[in-house]
Amino acid sequence: MPASAAWARPEELVESLSSLDNTARLKALRDVKNQIIGNKTKKLSYIKLGAVPRVVEILASDTEVPLLVQSAAAVGSFACGIEAGVKAVLDSGVLPHLLKMLSNGDNKVVEACARSLKMIFQSTLAPKSDMFQGHRMELIIELLNSENDSVAEVAASVLARCCETVDHQRALADAGGLQSLVGLLNGSLKTREAALDALAALTRGNKQLCSTLTCMDQGKSLAMIMKLVKDKSSRTRLLACTCLANIGKASPSSLHQEREIRAGMLSILVKLFDEPGQVGEEAPGVLADLVSNNEDLQKVAMDMNSIEKLAEFLRKDEISPKQLAGVLMALAELCSRFEDSRKQLLDLKVQAPIIAALEHDSVGVRAAACSCIKSLSRSVQNLRTGLTDELLVLPLLKLLSDSSSDIQALALSAVSNIVLDFKPHKAVVFRCGGVSQLIQLSQSMDPILRLNAVWALKNLLYMSDKTVKERVMGELTFNSLVDLIFDSEEKVREQAMALVRNLVYGDVDSVQLALVQDSVLLHAVEKQLHVSTQPEICIQGLYIVSNVAAGNEVHKEAVMDIVIPVTSVGVNRNTSLLMRYLQDMSNPQIRVVALWCVINLTFPNSPGVSSRISRLRDGGIEAQLQSMVDDPCLDVKDRAKTALEHFSAVEVHSR
Amino acid sequence: MPGQALPPPCTFLNVGQAFTGTQNVSSGQKDEAWKVNVRLQGCDIQKGYLCGSMEALNVPSAETPVVTFWEGEIVDNKNYTFFTGQWDATRDTDVNHWDKFPSFAALKEDVKRDGGRSVDLANYPFMFMRWKEKFFVNVGTDCGLTIAGFYYVCFSRSNGSVNGFYYDPNSSPYQKLELMATNEGRSGYSFATYKFQ
Repeated sequence: MPASAAWARPEELVESLSSLDNTARLKALRDVKNQIIGNKTKKLSYIKLGAVPRVVEILASDTEVPLLVQSAAAVGSFACGIEAGVKAVLDSGVLPHLLKMLSNGDNKVVEACARSLKMIFQSTLAPKSDMFQGHRMELIIELLNSENDSVAEVAASVLARCCETVDHQRALADAGGLQSLVGLLNGSLKTREAALDALAALTRGNKQLCSTLTCMDQGKSLAMIMKLVKDKSSRTRLLACTCLANIGKASPSSLHQEREIRAGMLSILVKLFDEPGQVGEEAPGVLADLVSNNEDLQKVAMDMNSIEKLAEFLRKDEISPKQLAGVLMALAELCSRFEDSRKQLLDLKVQAPIIAALEHDSVGVRAAACSCIKSLSRSVQNLRTGLTDELLVLPLLKLLSDSSSDIQALALSAVSNIVLDFKPHKAVVFRCGGVSQLIQLSQSMDPILRLNAVWALKNLLYMSDKTVKERVMGELTFNSLVDLIFDSEEKVREQAMALVRNLVYGDVDSVQLALVQDSVLLHAVEKQLHVSTQPEICIQGLYIVSNVAAGNEVHKEAVMDIVIPVTSVGVNRNTSLLMRYLQDMSNPQIRVVALWCVINLTFPNSPGVSSRISRLRDGGIEAQLQSMVDDPCLDVKDRAKTALEHFSAVEVHSR
Repeated sequence: MPGQALPPPCTFLNVGQAFTGTQNVSSGQKDEAWKVNVRLQGCDIQKGYLCGSMEALNVPSAETPVVTFWEGEIVDNKNYTFFTGQWDATRDTDVNHWDKFPSFAALKEDVKRDGGRSVDLANYPFMFMRWKEKFFVNVGTDCGLTIAGFYYVCFSRSNGSVNGFYYDPNSSPYQKLELMATNEGRSGYSFATYKFQ
């Protein structure tokens, strides 16, 4: 007799799930469960027939153990390997019931529910913040301490999946999660790995929790994780490395004395690259975290030839998005600081797959590809020898209108480097329409996008020719630039000032841009120089007036009126902007640039130099300069001497 | 080499700074000079790194101006020492070339003894560097000039002057490079800026 003949028609079976007869319900549950196991089509058709809510209802209201076990198992089956199934069980409100059942007195019920929860939490559809509502979190943490190993395991894997934000991390830690998870490190292999996974989620990017974990039990917990780095199981090794990478990233010195351990982790991770499945897939990303912001380890990784090994992945035809993102992130980190690494990667000729990754469907891959391009382009030589090719610039610029603002911000930072092609005409980025995009983004409501866009425009204007400056200002407009100079964000203000500095750098025509439209830019800069308390902004402001003072007589006089104005009572001794900045002992660079301003205002052989010098003298500047030749800063000393030479030259001349 | 302070910044080493001057070849057979323009394009004091372009004008053997891209090492006893350790330069080559700079005299004995590792270079009015041309920007390798060697460079913090001696075992010895920081004909110095993200 063929097996299918024993089963009722699907519609009838679904009906029987709500039968009043316990035996009939149990049979229907078993039948449905057996039919759908490993069969996507059957799962979908039973979902359509409305089986899931009925199954969940049994879990919610029945008390008999076999019914509970079978319904929990059926839920797990629906949720296994198919997103529509996960959605259906979640829509039926199964979660609180599964959680509640974890405290059931019967072990079989508990284990069946635990397995189903695990299935659900393997999916991206699994609720995350939902788990932090009401008392659910306390319940899960309680379950971490369960006598039943598989319950503890599932609780840890649920935590690993749903802990995504700093608030989650804090809530979990406050409820005692860290301690309980550490306790599980002595458990079975699966439990230990789930616990490590959760510890990794709890410590990711969280300085405070990293240090709590480091200090826990007088460092014994940390020592235990360090030991697991050498475990037999490759997944344990990977997860232990992940936790330690988080700790190292959050507080680079916490493991300082264990430099060898970290170098050892690097070599373990590089070996894990070749592992099949999830471990090999995740290892490059963990390496990226481990070497992040750590030049020392980046060097060690380079010596292990990891750039070449990582680049090998890029040549593969098939690579999962997760692995690809990890590989690109690792390369991005390894090339972020060292010119040698960049050269090595470029010599491996994997630009094409990196550029292709800019157009990948996965957000993670696109982000990592942007980071990789950003690192490679932190090099004058690379920018001069090919990284500014249209093949790269076009897909990168496309990402400026990506649907994810994180990608937009990353793409902008890569574009900031790319626009520095060290050619005065910036033809490629104009031809690709990049400049208009940058200008639009400089008006974004998102402060990060605004900052990065203004940064890119500043770099674009670096040593650019007249046409570039005119085209940028024609589209950006002077008024918008003034708005950016007074932006609500300090960092944006600084970049806007630096942009103006590049704008007015160079020949007289460039300097003149400060004075057009009733000197709207110069007035804005003057105001910042008066009100700003941020040294970075003041330095840029001083560079601007210094650049303007390198122009013609009109420009020099305009600067005089800002830095040492004449009032109705004459020149105010000791209270001018110039005096204030020359006397600023907080930052030698401020004094240096203020001195360049004096040097430019007193530049020999310009027609009005003697009248400017006498005004500066009246304002006490010469006396101030004399006191600066003993400045603790070498650069200040030298520039003060040059400025004083200008004063004495005119003195000799006028006699 | 821990404990060594990095040289403090100098405005003449700002990106975009131009230098202008000459290169001289004086040897038994010939006595030639040509005009040289240099522009600094990158400078990372932390890494002891700088780079830029070098343009040689009216070179007798070349038909057009020749532009090269170079990278520099700053001798800071942290990233780099007085000893080159590459490019066919022995310690003797190093000392003989550095010794051509009058400002090296005060350091010579220390350098001969231990490479000058204990010398406080951060507060020295001169900075010593090596500039190594990497590739031709606008011409092929058959342009009549070579980039096989490198320059020993002495940079004056106070006035932005650059003196250099070219070293290449296969070229005329001690070809001299003399440059001054220039404001490019403007009536003052101006300063551009960029920063990598």
